[in-house]
Amino acid sequence: MRYNRDNASPGERNTGKRTLIRPSDWKIRLNPSRWVWFRMDDRLLLIAFGAVVGVCSGLAAVALSHGLVFLMENLSVFRDYWWAFVLPGIGMAASSLFLEKVVREGAGHGVPEVVYSVSRHGGLLRLRSAFSRLISNCLTIGAGGSAGPEAPVIISGASIGSNISRLFSLNERQRVTLVGCGSAGALSAIFNAPVAGMVFTIEIIMGEWSAANVVPIAVASVAGAQVTRLLQTHQISFTHLRFDVDVISTLAAVGLAVLTALISVLFARSLRYSHHISEKITLPVWVRALIGGCMVGAIGLLLPGVLGEGYHSIQQMVEGAFVPGLALMLLLVGAKIAATALTLGWGGSGGIFAPALVIGSFTGLMYHRFIDMLWPGLSWVNEGCYALLGMAGLISGTMHAPLTGIFLIVDITGRYETILPLILVSALSTTICHVFEPASFYLRDLVEKGQYLKPRTDAKVLADLSISELVEKDCKTVPRNMLLGDFIKVVQESHRNYFPVVDEQTGEFQGMIHLDDIRAYLFDSLMYETVFMEQIMQTDVETVDVHEELSEVLDRMDTNGLFSMPVVSRNWFVGMVSKATLLDKYRHELMVQTMH
Amino acid sequence: MEMQMLHIFRNTPLGRETLLESAYFCKHLDILPVVYVPGYVKFLMYFENDVVQVDLDGSYLRSPETARDHVVEIVESMGLPAPKFLEPKHFTASTLPDIPVDYDFMCCPRSITDMSSKIGLGYIGPRVRRIVQNARFPVYIPSAVFKPWQSLAVMFGGSANAVKALKLGIRLSRISGFPLDVFTQEGRRTRQDYEDIIEQEGLRDPMDKNVREWRIFETRSFAENLYEIPHDALIVLGAYGHGLIKELFFGSTMETLQSVSPNSMLIVGPNYRASI
Repeated sequence: MRYNRDNASPGERNTGKRTLIRPSDWKIRLNPSRWVWFRMDDRLLLIAFGAVVGVCSGLAAVALSHGLVFLMENLSVFRDYWWAFVLPGIGMAASSLFLEKVVREGAGHGVPEVVYSVSRHGGLLRLRSAFSRLISNCLTIGAGGSAGPEAPVIISGASIGSNISRLFSLNERQRVTLVGCGSAGALSAIFNAPVAGMVFTIEIIMGEWSAANVVPIAVASVAGAQVTRLLQTHQISFTHLRFDVDVISTLAAVGLAVLTALISVLFARSLRYSHHISEKITLPVWVRALIGGCMVGAIGLLLPGVLGEGYHSIQQMVEGAFVPGLALMLLLVGAKIAATALTLGWGGSGGIFAPALVIGSFTGLMYHRFIDMLWPGLSWVNEGCYALLGMAGLISGTMHAPLTGIFLIVDITGRYETILPLILVSALSTTICHVFEPASFYLRDLVEKGQYLKPRTDAKVLADLSISELVEKDCKTVPRNMLLGDFIKVVQESHRNYFPVVDEQTGEFQGMIHLDDIRAYLFDSLMYETVFMEQIMQTDVETVDVHEELSEVLDRMDTNGLFSMPVVSRNWFVGMVSKATLLDKYRHELMVQTMH
Repeated sequence: MEMQMLHIFRNTPLGRETLLESAYFCKHLDILPVVYVPGYVKFLMYFENDVVQVDLDGSYLRSPETARDHVVEIVESMGLPAPKFLEPKHFTASTLPDIPVDYDFMCCPRSITDMSSKIGLGYIGPRVRRIVQNARFPVYIPSAVFKPWQSLAVMFGGSANAVKALKLGIRLSRISGFPLDVFTQEGRRTRQDYEDIIEQEGLRDPMDKNVREWRIFETRSFAENLYEIPHDALIVLGAYGHGLIKELFFGSTMETLQSVSPNSMLIVGPNYRASI
């Protein structure tokens, strides 16, 4: 090497030996993950962060609520005009343009994205998701679209949790917990329902109960609810009614469970069907949203109760102040399903939580009036109780989340009198729905695409391993023109049973030889000088690509009864992947994942 | 295992130049090009501790019917076998594919973000910066027009990332056979400091064996001294992890380098694990 010092001064600076502190060293020292405070007990750390994330999520929920109130109040003066049906269209088009052109979000309604992120990518979420859905949801619901504010606020809270963990360089497990904290804090704030927020997060978002997760999530839930109680102006505040539920009313709830299950299936399928129809229309997304919104507006001209998130209707039904008769109730159920399907399927932004509650309460009330009409002599419990049971049935059926359904109702009523029929309806509705819809509305697309990985399952463990981690490279390749005699010497020096055969000129992979393939020639020394590898090698060999998913490789091994397969890239032999190594790595990964 | 380089293809004359650059890089370093022909204007890259959304401009989706033929034609014209095409397997949303991040290199044109007004020199998009900051692979930023490079030039400033860049430069020089030069701008550190760092990192022998010339600039500004870098060199440098405020006021070395030099660059980020 030749040194060349431009304009070197005659007197060399004598610095002597000293310890060099490089900028990168300072950066490492300033990294929050190195601070002593961050190395304290892991659970305390997560609880502290959980509280912070819960407060932030609560603030996001309050901001959304205030935004919704502001828009709804300011647009209400236009509702009486004949052209008011375009308002939801304008709101949905604006929401769609905002998501596509301004924040370039390019994603769905929220909850599936959070589940996907937790399931596949250790809870990584984009920062823009912390605010984008809040604004787009505000535009959609504020203008009259039929959707709920819960999914947007959940992704917002989850994104806050994810980005706080990124800011403080927390590890993947801690990040997933904080995503859960964000989700719980947000849901608990928007509903003022801390237990439901916690249970929903564990049931749907996390997919598992673990001691390490539950406590921080509970703290976040409390923090979120407390923020909303301090600052909230627009929350579901039911009069805490007392319901005297007798045996007959409890038994009659079985019929309601069946009805809510069927309506849940209809609701979920309508949402998907509507989305598929809109996707087939080759118009810009915002134009589709405009059309869909105008259709929602047209429904709203006839039945204004289906517009918006519908909390007011729920309140009336639970308090027994909802006047419409049975036929109109049936019409309202259909109209609300159609309006929600058009809103969410055609480009509006929002969730299905609030619409499910509204549809559920309509269903419960409708069922109560129906049985009361059939058996007028029996003393049924107040119809508000059945509205609550219907809500639980729809939530449980649509989301396959019975505990969320139960605890949400307990949370928002503040009483336990309805707990028996509540459990019955939630459990039966989930079970019946499962027959028709094997996965919940949130997870169905992910499950169909094979993207949902339940924690601590085979698929999850295998997804965290890659072929490149498992490749065994200590394999001896043999040329295709090698004689059997020479091959036997190779076998003597090797501890393997499989030998890849390659082309001596190009180095390309040609096939495999297993020890069984030469057994027939082993004791005939005449064959040693006459048989070449290309004559006995297997050419129809199943190979593996380096980027192939391990679960697929394992499936192929099982299907073909193989214990190992060659890894080949661009016709070049890379190594072998075997079940033995896979099991070894699998156990190690499982230990890592189940340590906490 | 053979190395792979991810290239996002744009079916335009500018995209042809950048693919030629990538193909040339792959050819001389024995790397398999993996080409992604975008089907959507957005994609996500999930790194260990961050998720980066790359927003492409509409030209990346132009003429999809000819895109693959053009890719094969360009790559084969460089004497390489047909490339591998990347088909995203996972989607965060129906129009938002996830692109794997387990490659050995990635080509990020300066214009990978949609700031088309800033396509030329002097701008590295924020997405490219985040990719560099998070990736375990070095990021190749090609020049706007294909120009075969004939040597490697490592910018060595003594930081941890610069050490990684030096190690990478030595490795690439060994594989490609191209000569390697090292350039250092003497600032707060002295030559002895740099020598100590080289010693501490165990790079003394590799430097002696592989580096053709180590130039230490003591006078003039960094921007002025960049004229000394050969016009046909591939510049290898470590990314500076400046904070936002410092970068806004003082700029970054990467920015200065790109605004002055049209050479192709290979940038090493803090998560790259270097070996010789």
